[in-house]
Amino acid sequence: MIQFEKFTLENGLRVIFHKEELSPMAVVNTLYDVGARDEDENKTGFAHLFEHLMFGGSVNIAEFDTPLQQAGGENNAFTSNDITNYYDVVPLENIETALWLESDRMLSLAFTPKSLEIQRSVVIEEFKQRYLNQPYGDVWLQLRPLAYQVHPYKWATIGKEISHIEDATMEDVKGFFRKHYNPSNAILCIAGNFDLDGVKKIVNKWYGDIPPGKKYHRTLPQEPQQNEFREKTIEREVPTDAFYYAFKMCSRTHEDFYATDLISDILGRDKSARLYVKLKKEKQLVSSINAFIMGSLDNGLLVLSGKLNEGVSFGELDEALWLELDRLREKEIEIKELNKLLNKVRTSKEFEEQGMLNRAMALCYFELLGDASLINSESDKYVSITPKKLRSVAQQVIRKENCSLLKIKATL
Amino acid sequence: MMNRTQQPSISQVKEIQFIAPEIKKLNGTIPVYLMRDVQNETSRLDLYFDAGKNSGPKGISSFVNGLLLSGTPNRSSVEINGNIDDLGGFYQSGVSMENAVVSMYALREFLPEIMQGLIDALQNVHFDESETREYLADTKQRHLQSLGKVSYLSQREFQKHLFQSNTLYASVMELEDVENVLRQDLIDFHQKHYLNGLQKVVIVGNFQDVVIDQMLSLLQDFSGKNNSVKDKNIIHNKGRFHVSKDRAIQTAVRIGRILFNKKHKDYLDFLVLNTILGDYFGSRLMSNIREEKGYTYGIGSMVNEFQNTGYFMIGTEVKKEVSADTIKEIKYELNRLQKELVSDEELNLVKNYLLGQLLKSADGPYAMIDLYLSAEMQEKDLEHYNDAIKAVREITPKRIQELAQLYLNWEDLTIVTAG
Repeated sequence: MIQFEKFTLENGLRVIFHKEELSPMAVVNTLYDVGARDEDENKTGFAHLFEHLMFGGSVNIAEFDTPLQQAGGENNAFTSNDITNYYDVVPLENIETALWLESDRMLSLAFTPKSLEIQRSVVIEEFKQRYLNQPYGDVWLQLRPLAYQVHPYKWATIGKEISHIEDATMEDVKGFFRKHYNPSNAILCIAGNFDLDGVKKIVNKWYGDIPPGKKYHRTLPQEPQQNEFREKTIEREVPTDAFYYAFKMCSRTHEDFYATDLISDILGRDKSARLYVKLKKEKQLVSSINAFIMGSLDNGLLVLSGKLNEGVSFGELDEALWLELDRLREKEIEIKELNKLLNKVRTSKEFEEQGMLNRAMALCYFELLGDASLINSESDKYVSITPKKLRSVAQQVIRKENCSLLKIKATL
Repeated sequence: MMNRTQQPSISQVKEIQFIAPEIKKLNGTIPVYLMRDVQNETSRLDLYFDAGKNSGPKGISSFVNGLLLSGTPNRSSVEINGNIDDLGGFYQSGVSMENAVVSMYALREFLPEIMQGLIDALQNVHFDESETREYLADTKQRHLQSLGKVSYLSQREFQKHLFQSNTLYASVMELEDVENVLRQDLIDFHQKHYLNGLQKVVIVGNFQDVVIDQMLSLLQDFSGKNNSVKDKNIIHNKGRFHVSKDRAIQTAVRIGRILFNKKHKDYLDFLVLNTILGDYFGSRLMSNIREEKGYTYGIGSMVNEFQNTGYFMIGTEVKKEVSADTIKEIKYELNRLQKELVSDEELNLVKNYLLGQLLKSADGPYAMIDLYLSAEMQEKDLEHYNDAIKAVREITPKRIQELAQLYLNWEDLTIVTAG
């Protein structure tokens, strides 16, 4: 059971306090409700480029990192298609430095043309390092637009293409800040050995006078139901053929989310998962095979991916794969297998919550989903799933006309 | 109205509570480290074996490690993994230069039972032919895929030159190693370096004595009599080396030298120098090459430690067109550390940062045991970290400069590029 308290400032900033008595460190985690899905289709990669610019100095502070390091702290951030999350971990006594820095950059940034130029190049190098100069690195740049035709999930967080990052202007950047970076669009979590009154006092001190800004109301084009099987083959200079089956699934807040998550576990979480045992160990068709879900806030994807063994064709794989998928659709899972899945879910949750930073990030994320207390009720949701429910969700999700298949043909 | 231009007052970390594990002996000789002060239901088991790269040639250490759960005469690999998964366990294993570690993460209530199956699998693995064939084919595929990465190519080349005086340390896996491995070699290596090479046991989790004893009794047939030689006197190959890769759009750079580890008198002070140069976000290399020039997504330097020696390395991946300029700038930064004194302001910042990071690295039982093991591997104890606090507090700009002059001479370095 994770304890926490919540309060909201007058400017709309939602604050969560998580008391942790044993650690000498404190965490300040800030989640902004903005991600790559909020970008203009002709200016993609912006939320992420912007995350980089958030370290270039704010209205009253020349540079973000130096004072935090001076206080013995460290920080980082990440951007996804849904959110942008910033965190600072500092020795307890120095928490105010983190609040000073974070509140000042929520108040207003100090953009300089130089900082934009530099971060633009840094992000372009990141684009190359992670997506272009790696075997199979561009898979998501290819798979997303195959699976999504309308919804902004059709582009990756890094952006659709490098030119969008090259073309970003100072005006774009400022507009993005005004639209998304304000107290009503953020959730803050403070974790550490404090008391609630003390936390209220320092949070009010640093964030209380930030103007609320205009609340951003999201209206994204929703992806229509997919009614046809889609398939694309690309050739790449890689040693092995690879495949990615992407099935449309529900959103993170839908009641079927947990069952879909378990379905991906049944198929490909570990070395006793069905696809691993059947397609790799028994039939020797693949060298690796995995299943996972994108836990996205709008309708997501369940992905089955892997690499073919030498001499095996995509067709052979497809046939064997669907035999297994049909079995899941037709026959209810045994209780023993279900218990295995639940044990794995419990173990990973317990390890994730071992770290204070993870707890702070999760609390903000669950608050965004609707209520931070979901962090404590999630386990029950998994436990209450029945074999019948799993089968019915499998029947809904695992259908050929709900699937987009990307094949990578090796040319090496 | 409050003054937002002024940083709130800060205090430097004064003392850190380091918590030592309990120590027991298994079979009279093998050390067992217990960290029981865990607040939740998590637990972890680590087994350290004398089965690192230095204990066998031509990739054998990594092949045996990868095959540890591949089946016994009584249980197939699918059954073994199934038993672990049924109880929610997460298995992890890996080979480093001087040892191999097998770890199990699980809920406390399940670890003893999982361990039974795990130890049976480790002890009785029989290197089934079809399992071995499958594993080697996968290894070959992964290797071919990695050869497409400039980071992998540069790291391999760097390792060859850095450890060139010792063929075991310097060897990197080649395709022919995968093709030529013999089953008997796997069996012999396992016999010698696993069954007779258990070097230490680590248990983290809130277990009672009786459960610990029961878990340790599962290990009674292991011995620790094999302990491969850990090289003290590696000599690196200085100079400039390049691996070419067609159509790469970034170039990977590795620059470094053989240095030392925690046992050396200059070690703690060198860590401060290393931090200034390249081991935090505001470091000189990051400021210059990423934040000033935008050449890269990241650049860093590190000290990597073995039992009797260690090495220093700078690593990055940069835009292809600027690789020569990047190397020039790295040289410039090393030179600057040799010629100019670090300002008090910069040094003070690094001191505060390092003390804060040390505080963090002692936070919680899992972090604490890892910190302890890192000292223990080099025959140090937790006093080493109190020495570190003292060294960081006392170091002067002059001393930083002296160390740079001693250890960061350009002509002493191995410089590798791939791209």
